Amino acid sequence: MGIVKIFYKDDCPMCPVAKKLGRHLEAENVGVQHYNVETAEGLAEATFYRVMALPTVVVEDEDENGIGEWRGSVPKIEEVLSAVRNA
Amino acid sequence: METTDLNLFVRTSEETISDWDRSKIADALIRETLIDRDTADQISLEAEQMIRKSGVKVVTAPLVRELVNAKLIEKGLESTRKMHTRLGMPVYDVDSLILHPNKENANVPHGPEATNLTLAERIKKEYALLCVFSQDVADAHMNGDIHLHDLGFIDRPYCSGQSLEYIKKFGLDLPHSLSMAKPAKHPEVLLAHLIKFAAALQSNFAGAIGWDAINIFFAPYIEGMSDDEVKQFAQMLIFEFSQQAVARGGQAIFSDINVYWEVPKHFEKVPAIGPGGQFTGKTYGEYEKEGQRFAWKLFEVYKEGDGAGRPFFFPKPIVHITEKFFKTQGHMDFLYHISDVAADKGNTYYVFDRGETAKISECCRLSFKLEESDLRDALEPWRMRYCALQNVSLNLPRMAYMAKKDDTKLFNLITERFVLATKAHKEKRAFLEKLLAHGEDGPLALLTMKRDGMPYLRFDRASHLIGMVGLNEMVQVHTGEEMHESKKALKFGLKVMAHMKLLSDKMRRQEGFRIVLEQTPAESTSYRFARLDMRYFSPASGRAVKGDIASGEIYYTNSTHLNVKYPMNPIERVTSEGIFHPLIEAGSISHVWLGESQPYKEALADFVIKTFRNTTSDQIAFSPEFTTCNTCHRTGRGLLDTCSYCGSPDVDGITRITGYFTKVSSWNKGKRGELNDRHRVGEYFAEQKKAANE
Repeated sequence: MGIVKIFYKDDCPMCPVAKKLGRHLEAENVGVQHYNVETAEGLAEATFYRVMALPTVVVEDEDENGIGEWRGSVPKIEEVLSAVRNA
Repeated sequence: METTDLNLFVRTSEETISDWDRSKIADALIRETLIDRDTADQISLEAEQMIRKSGVKVVTAPLVRELVNAKLIEKGLESTRKMHTRLGMPVYDVDSLILHPNKENANVPHGPEATNLTLAERIKKEYALLCVFSQDVADAHMNGDIHLHDLGFIDRPYCSGQSLEYIKKFGLDLPHSLSMAKPAKHPEVLLAHLIKFAAALQSNFAGAIGWDAINIFFAPYIEGMSDDEVKQFAQMLIFEFSQQAVARGGQAIFSDINVYWEVPKHFEKVPAIGPGGQFTGKTYGEYEKEGQRFAWKLFEVYKEGDGAGRPFFFPKPIVHITEKFFKTQGHMDFLYHISDVAADKGNTYYVFDRGETAKISECCRLSFKLEESDLRDALEPWRMRYCALQNVSLNLPRMAYMAKKDDTKLFNLITERFVLATKAHKEKRAFLEKLLAHGEDGPLALLTMKRDGMPYLRFDRASHLIGMVGLNEMVQVHTGEEMHESKKALKFGLKVMAHMKLLSDKMRRQEGFRIVLEQTPAESTSYRFARLDMRYFSPASGRAVKGDIASGEIYYTNSTHLNVKYPMNPIERVTSEGIFHPLIEAGSISHVWLGESQPYKEALADFVIKTFRNTTSDQIAFSPEFTTCNTCHRTGRGLLDTCSYCGSPDVDGITRITGYFTKVSSWNKGKRGELNDRHRVGEYFAEQKKAANE
């Protein structure tokens, strides 16, 4: 089972959609980590993942290997679920 | 005021010997401080009694002043004493200064001019700490919580980025100069103007003077010259800059030249200025070939080195690698050409301007990303003059000793020090504003000249740098691991830098001036911080400082760099260090220490392309090492004790200290410790070569 990382900030137009996606994924029992890039923790993680556009959604397996990423866009929940479940 | 009958002579600071006159003490106190007349009289009387009792026949003015200061302290008048104090140096210090070289800055040779510079710097440093900065800022500097860079140059901005276009358009017309020169008609004259202007600027800035797109802006003057003539011209430019050690304090002008293979997009459609300051009727985009010809020849000269085959120390050539670079004809040949220089002599700096970012680089690694308003200025490139007013570095490991592994305490300390550094910037800003307010009659006349209608120094655009020293050791002390040891430790380092980045954004909004993070070169600061922490934070500091404690060759790892000793392959190092670079707005660099090896140019070019494409690194430089012989004047590779050609022990080692090449013998102890530790990666490139051959 993979883990999802969602990068966002307070005032970007598409970020609320990404946050909503996170909530829906959690409802599906998927582990989701939220990172607000306006906090030190969030900005550090975003820098590590070279996040240049917001929102960004990254899926990783248990060994932190990347298995899916959507940069500057919000994927459909099915796409993320499929990545997570194939991890 | 009554006169006294004391039979005493005073050696005054005006080189005269005067009769004793107590009223002069009271007069000075009244003139220089806020003390009242009665107290001043009383103090002068007490000082006189003290001298009378001692029975001396001749006193010096400084001694009288110190006796008065002692009386002020006795009476608890500390603020008055500060106003009345004297700046200067003990005889012992002056004596050793005149006799021994300065090791704080390897770019300062030893000689009467250098001694003058150091003496002046000492007094200005004291003045800055006493009169420009508030007590808490000065104390934090003194005890090593922060470091205020270039205090000896308190009365000028820190460093700058310049445009050749200014002198092309306006000639050399400097305030108070003995003659005014109209815009140059011939390339050699333009070059002479450039060098003189650079020397004049060196007198008005503490540090680096960077020149933007030098090959592009010289291009209209080069048109019509044969290849041999262009080579000769390139040689003149490099030698002129590298031999300017006759300028301020015998110190070479710390100069950078920015070179582009392509014509940068923001200059493509800009009308070109040619001989006589006239527009040529063409745009810079039409001078691509001439610009390339000049760039090529400059690197031919770098490849040859100086008369003894040594690498040129200055000007540092900075080549911008951009998306457009890869679309410009001949770019691979040029990349091999400059990589040949990098492998052989080490001069080349590769700056990566990815995407639509345009940058001007200067100083050791300072760069400015051009914003919207800058790109508008690019239409009139003589307006493109930038500066950083000051650089303040934070001692990161110390905060970890103090926080004792408590995250909240650690981040709170970073915030406190950051706020203090910002306060230091506000104070320097206020001081410089005062100097600049005198205009062309003032001490910074050159920076206030208005040849294009606005002051030469664009104060409102100035940056204020906040640097960091020893992130690696901070992480080590706080988490128990160095940054190369685990992803967790590296991410903690990132969190610290992210916190500082957010603070710089917040402070910028709050204060209304540009506050940006920079990787401090820390040529002497990493040594100074380590030394002070050994004094105040042992034994914890003893476990964190790098280098050799027994010999005192200790240092903290520079800025956000990883442990220099750890054997890592260079692409891994550049990738890991590059992760930090997007957070450091004013510029960063990763060093690749080559040691005595000389990789193939193809291997370095390939490395550069991979770095551009696959990492977030801002800038890289490859550093070979040399031994130059003072007997036979030949230069060989590697740092050796004797000359490999003639066996003479009279040799100098040469390699890159932080952001420039210099003789190892002039390095401070901390940097020597780092040099011993540097992990050289010659083998990595040798293996690459082997793999390519198989």
